[in-house]
Amino acid sequence: MAKKNSKNWLLIPIIALIYLLVFVAEKVAGTSSMLVTVLEKGAIYALIAVSLNLLNGFTGLFSLGQAGFMLVGAYTYAVLTIPMAKRAAVYQYYNGGCITFTVPFIIAIILGGLLAAAFAALIGFPVLRLKSDYLAIATLGFAEIARALVQFDGLGPITNGSNLLKTYPTYKTVMFPFCAAGICIAIILLLIHSTYGRAFKAIRDDEIAAEAMGINLFRHKELSFVISSFFAGVGGALLAMYQGTLQANAFKSSMTYEILLIVVIGGMGSVSGSVIASFLFIACSEWWLRFLDAEQFIWGIKVPLLRSGFRMVVFAVVIMLIVLFYSRGIMGDREISIDRIIKKFSKKKGATK
Amino acid sequence: MSVLRVENITMQFGGVVAINNLSMEINKGEIVALIGPNGAGKTTAFNCITGVYEPTNGADYFNDSPIAINHPTGKMAKTYAGINADQYVGKHLHMTPDKITKLGIARTFQNIRLFKSMTAFENVLIGTHLRRTSNPFSATFRLNMREEKKLRAHAMDMLEVVGLADLADEKATSLPYGKQRRLEIARALATDPKLLLLDEPAAGMNPQETDDLGVFIRDIKDRFDLTVFLIEHHMNLVMDISDRIYVIDFGKQIAEGVPAEIRDNPAVIAAYLGVDEE
Amino acid sequence: MFQRILPYLLAGISVGGQYALIAVGYTMVYGILRLINFAHGDIFTAAGFFMVYLTASGMPMYFSIPLVVILTVLLGFTVERVAYKPLRSAPRMSIMISAIGVSYLLQHLMWYITGGLTKQYPTIPWISDTVTVLGASTRRVTIITPFLVAALVVALVALIKKTKIGMAMRAVSRDFETAQLMGIKINNVISTTFIIGSALAAVGSFLFFSNYTAVSPPAGAMPGLKAFVAAVFGGIGSIPGAVFGALIIGICENFIKSVGYANFSDAFTFALLIVVLLFKPTGLFGEKTSEKV
Repeated sequence: MAKKNSKNWLLIPIIALIYLLVFVAEKVAGTSSMLVTVLEKGAIYALIAVSLNLLNGFTGLFSLGQAGFMLVGAYTYAVLTIPMAKRAAVYQYYNGGCITFTVPFIIAIILGGLLAAAFAALIGFPVLRLKSDYLAIATLGFAEIARALVQFDGLGPITNGSNLLKTYPTYKTVMFPFCAAGICIAIILLLIHSTYGRAFKAIRDDEIAAEAMGINLFRHKELSFVISSFFAGVGGALLAMYQGTLQANAFKSSMTYEILLIVVIGGMGSVSGSVIASFLFIACSEWWLRFLDAEQFIWGIKVPLLRSGFRMVVFAVVIMLIVLFYSRGIMGDREISIDRIIKKFSKKKGATK
Repeated sequence: MSVLRVENITMQFGGVVAINNLSMEINKGEIVALIGPNGAGKTTAFNCITGVYEPTNGADYFNDSPIAINHPTGKMAKTYAGINADQYVGKHLHMTPDKITKLGIARTFQNIRLFKSMTAFENVLIGTHLRRTSNPFSATFRLNMREEKKLRAHAMDMLEVVGLADLADEKATSLPYGKQRRLEIARALATDPKLLLLDEPAAGMNPQETDDLGVFIRDIKDRFDLTVFLIEHHMNLVMDISDRIYVIDFGKQIAEGVPAEIRDNPAVIAAYLGVDEE
Repeated sequence: MFQRILPYLLAGISVGGQYALIAVGYTMVYGILRLINFAHGDIFTAAGFFMVYLTASGMPMYFSIPLVVILTVLLGFTVERVAYKPLRSAPRMSIMISAIGVSYLLQHLMWYITGGLTKQYPTIPWISDTVTVLGASTRRVTIITPFLVAALVVALVALIKKTKIGMAMRAVSRDFETAQLMGIKINNVISTTFIIGSALAAVGSFLFFSNYTAVSPPAGAMPGLKAFVAAVFGGIGSIPGAVFGALIIGICENFIKSVGYANFSDAFTFALLIVVLLFKPTGLFGEKTSEKV
């Protein structure tokens, strides 16, 4: 129930301000700056992390197939948008490929999501009736099958086999992934706070009680799984745009692991946590910890340990520390709330008086 | 008119016969108790009615239409230790618990099963989910505001009925034990049941709370035109509110009747106190 | 016809045996902790690297081989103590996430130490020699793998059936809490499980990498996953099931390669998994469990 005197409406101008700052940052720092790169990738990962959180954090289903659904979305987007004039060059080993039409990029993104959702519906049908461990391993399996299929020579005229897909349209400004991810996350938030979202949380808390309340377990799990995969597919399409080129090899299970770790760092069951954690994760792995990878000399003495690969080791250790000692993550299962921040500050003030 | 009819139900787990050829009938507007020593199979009987378990043999009817029919098949056909194995051959029906709840049978749990991340109000709100007409799309994009308002009002009413309206925004699991039991009843009522199954509703309550509960159960029965079927160990409560009582032991019915008959029934006394082997 | 199939059959049995040694580690840990130990494949890879670096240091084989087993066991033991033990009472999802975190850490650590390069696996004399069986030429490792696997599995089953620690393991896998109440030292049982699993993974690594000769940080991921699928296929928690599943996967994979669909040999494994989950979710030898209300 909405409480009176809530100051949470303040979040709307704050979010608008963040968008404005991102817009300004791009103008000042330039589109190819590290800051803008992190913002782009962070926004896309935020969407994918939230989509996984819908499943793992809100419905209590342990799925490890996110990379597979991203792959489906990314390939659908790229295959359907490469301009006809450039197909001969891209599909040089397959006579220009067999697809002889293109669709507008927005439609291609949505189709990417829909195809991912369709695959999810197919897998979910047998697997979601089983215990949760089996879902984890079956989705992981699906991701591997999808990767092998895309690289399969027989499908080359469509997917270009294991060769690079390129020259498909990308976006020009960081505002595009920001707005697209923002809209998608807003939709997921609305869903979570609807009667269906409540049913998902009931299933997470206690399946047997949820079923006794008249909630059809299978239908609701399938719904959550399909919606999560739709947005993972959309996220995959956005990632393809971010990268500019596309190859199936990048979508390995370690990609799913990274997204899962982002969700854990942000807090299972917290959308704002996943968003914050995505930007932190991408900033640390791509930018702030970069110095660990370069050999450095202080007063002519070589700093030990610093060389290529050290960044990710430090990073992985930090993640392990979070998983072990701070398992609730940044936000736990709560969302950012202006009310709580105000309360905290007023308490501190009271203490100093 | 019978609301619930349990017909020759046998439930066998591996070689253990938990319920043995049990038949019961509950009429509209009655309060019926199911009693028996620990491990007699009372909760198993509830689970066979609500679809959590699929009975090995026998049939359940709700308002004279079947909700479960089964006969031993496969491996069970060889190891089956009950009777009437051939009575239901050729018929099979298994409804999942959610379908049975939708038909109008709601239940509470012996070991309280509230949704632990949610407030008391949200717990009850879950009970209204099955009465929705919105689909995921209309619910997400808030095209169902009028219905949502109605569901919330209904949930709030149910909280009021059990006297927890002022604790609506408390975490369900932070409530005292007795209030958690009442919250489970509110949640069950929110599904608009015709038959309410209560699994040890007075467990963990003090005598005062137990007395209040008796009055309360009668009250909601009249108010919502319910039929109530309960498992209970507090004999005072059982004798006080029940119209009829079924007694089971080792999965078998050993007595049936009005409270006064059950009180003096030697088989019941023997089951509870034990008899000397002679 | 037989002459054409034989090499693939031999290779299939051999690689299946190697998967089996990894699969046993998965299935034992799952049986006791209900944990999919995602780091097990990386421990297997680490065993490969131990061998590479110990041999490079000039150590003779009869020293380095036992030392590799000891180091691998130590690694498995440490992972359990550091990453899984503190989460004993946490929700099951947390401990699986911890396993994924360990896998992530081990992979990056190996990448850092090796500089991301693929290393040549040292040639272990005698087992890497080429021999001819029924007209098919193959390495000796191919021939000895099935016998070694059979011997180890028989020993393991005897350990579980006959010894006191084996009885404790069975008790813990049946009912964790009750076993604890009965005075079984849970932590010792779990450590023993990880020690046995890691030792078998080390033996598996000698056989596997002698065959494939190259070790890289992600080298263990795929065999690890396949071994896991083998464990699920056989019915997770069952040791004979894991061995049987691994052999099936090894043989099928090699036949698929033989008809020219090498790309699909990995996908096949997972397709098999989904088919099994569809028709017999608890696997071929698995037990059915039901939740108590």
